[in-house]
Amino acid sequence: MSGPPAADTGAVRAGCDRQDVNFKGQPYIEVRDLVFEYRRGSDTDGEPDVVMRAVDGVSLDVPRGSFTAIIGRNGSGKSTLAKNVNALFLPTSGSVTVDGMDTRDDAFVWEIRRRVGMVFQNPDNQLVSAVVEDDVAFGPENLGVAPDEIRERVRAALIAVDMTEQRKMAPHLLSGGQKQRVAIAGVVAMRPDAIIFDEPTAMLDPEGRREVMDVIGRLRADGVTIVLITHFMDETVDADRVVIMDRGRIVLDGTPAEVFRRADEIESLGLRLPFAVELASRLRRRGIDVPAGLLTPEAVAGWLRGSAA
Amino acid sequence: MTIKVSGLSHTYNAGLAYETKAVADVSFDVADGEFIGIIGHTGSGKSTLIQHLNGILKPDSGQIWIDGIDITGKGVKMHEIRKRVGMSFQYPEYQLFEETVYRDIAFGPRNLGLSDAEIDERVREAMDAVNLDFGEMAERSPFDLSGGQKRRAAIAGVIAMRPGVLILDEPTAGLDPKSHADVLSMIRSVHERMGAIVMLVSHNMEDIAAMSDRVFVMDMGRLVCSGTPAEVFADAEYLRGIGLGLPPSTEMARMLGLAAGAIRDMDDLIDAISRMRKGRDL
Ligand SMILES: Nc1ncnc2c1ncn2[C@@H]1O[C@H](COP(=O)(O)OP(=O)(O)OP(=O)(O)O)[C@@H](O)[C@H]1O
Ligand SMILES: Nc1ncnc2c1ncn2[C@@H]1O[C@H](COP(=O)(O)OP(=O)(O)OP(=O)(O)O)[C@@H](O)[C@H]1O
Ligand SMILES: [Mg+2]
Ligand SMILES: [Mg+2]
Repeated sequence: MSGPPAADTGAVRAGCDRQDVNFKGQPYIEVRDLVFEYRRGSDTDGEPDVVMRAVDGVSLDVPRGSFTAIIGRNGSGKSTLAKNVNALFLPTSGSVTVDGMDTRDDAFVWEIRRRVGMVFQNPDNQLVSAVVEDDVAFGPENLGVAPDEIRERVRAALIAVDMTEQRKMAPHLLSGGQKQRVAIAGVVAMRPDAIIFDEPTAMLDPEGRREVMDVIGRLRADGVTIVLITHFMDETVDADRVVIMDRGRIVLDGTPAEVFRRADEIESLGLRLPFAVELASRLRRRGIDVPAGLLTPEAVAGWLRGSAA
Repeated sequence: MTIKVSGLSHTYNAGLAYETKAVADVSFDVADGEFIGIIGHTGSGKSTLIQHLNGILKPDSGQIWIDGIDITGKGVKMHEIRKRVGMSFQYPEYQLFEETVYRDIAFGPRNLGLSDAEIDERVREAMDAVNLDFGEMAERSPFDLSGGQKRRAAIAGVIAMRPGVLILDEPTAGLDPKSHADVLSMIRSVHERMGAIVMLVSHNMEDIAAMSDRVFVMDMGRLVCSGTPAEVFADAEYLRGIGLGLPPSTEMARMLGLAAGAIRDMDDLIDAISRMRKGRDL
């Protein structure tokens, strides 16, 4: 079954340039030459109408235990790629495998969906039950997990997202960040190896965003493979790797420091720099020599304080 | 154009076990041409409040005057109000319903009784303003768009009406950074060029600080304070306590021990940092 999480994820922080070398063995998710076309019905000659080629030749390896951020302009194919990874969509051509299981093999579909959970933008649409803990139990119940084990899983999942206190509450009484954490707990209770987050903070207030990003950090520390799709550049600076999509293809791929060094490309791709990177670069233009590679406000503030002494 | 709201309350599912007092006794005035930013934690009542301003929701109690007309009064023609008060919803799925993007955006202008040529001009202009390529997008189904494309189509439909009051509920949520910036500058230009009142609901403190004349803060259904961005963002502890925060530049200024209240955006921050360093170098 699912092997132990990679023990050496800590090495990623050591400052190596290529993150792949830090993760041993077979990638957990392997996307090979993936093409995905949205199609509509079929016309008279039986050939389906191609509506849109949304993913256009993507290859991507996601190592077990890694944190990959995917960014890119609206319509660049991020959500479509994500839905191909957990077998909600099947490739038009190319392939996707999860821990060696091909999504096109019917026998694997449910196992893949259990192993790769998804969390979406709107917290209200993801909760189904009248009580928080029932909501978290919903997934494992559907899998036919034994009641004792369900209880244990729900307990652990609520701890993982720090919602134990609210376990008896009705979801509609929770804040957006709390609802989103319940949705994450529901996925965690399925014991997934990986979770794909598709803009999980887009509808949240600042506190809710912090809460969700903290939970993502905690899951990562527990060895869960994280894929985060976001339009907030600041949410990507702790990732092992930032992948940029444009018109269905991957156009940049590297560590946050590598990717955000390329300011002109970032802008031409409809994106922007993380706050601290933009600030540092504009300060440099004002003759204040902030070093490159500082990615957080804390790092820039630390340098400014230190260098002024 | 002016807005006045007095003693507005709205409870969902009144009398049931799960009733929610979403808006409680809210009163405010908006002057001609004002730009109002509305912030508040999730569930604080922002969307409920603003949906009263074009009559989609009816208050349990309280009154709403748009340009002096009490829209809660009897015999008020709601479609007359909706011509003047344009609203884009937090979840654009609820707003798109036509077969093509073009027809969706044209829907409002058509209801205004404009000619086909005028409608066409407005649709093109609105699509351009939200960064939707006409050739690529006009004939596509709005239901087959990505999340961010749907939002842009929904906003285009509202601005094509050229309303005197523009109410935008999280208009930049889910937009990529360039479209985000484009939509903000479009809002600013509608505000400045047409003198429209804008009410912008957003969780993005940076945008609220940069755009608003006045900021309304909601907490648990109540309007708990209002003031200029500098006034509202001066009290970081209070805002954090109710689930909010500071714009990143203001936050950074605090971290550096600079006078944070005056710092609205990165330009202000960079000026302040330069001054600080010059001061030390002397
Ligand atoms: N159901 C659909 N039918 C046809 N085309 C679609 C459908 N869903 C998405 N598309 C198109 O496929 C492309 C990729 O869409 P996708 O939703 O993957 O983009 P995205 O990168 O997630 O964008 P966003 O940042 O706006 O969420 C877009 O051009 C979009 O218009
Ligand atoms: N249609 C509805 N039926 C029942 N309750 C609702 C409905 N819409 C909103 N509520 C409840 O009313 C309260 C206020 O919700 P509202 O959507 O106005 O908040 P908001 O400030 O817009 O939140 P967000 O930042 O998440 O958009 C919340 O407790 C919410 O759960
Ligand atoms: Mg998407
Ligand atoms: Mg809302």
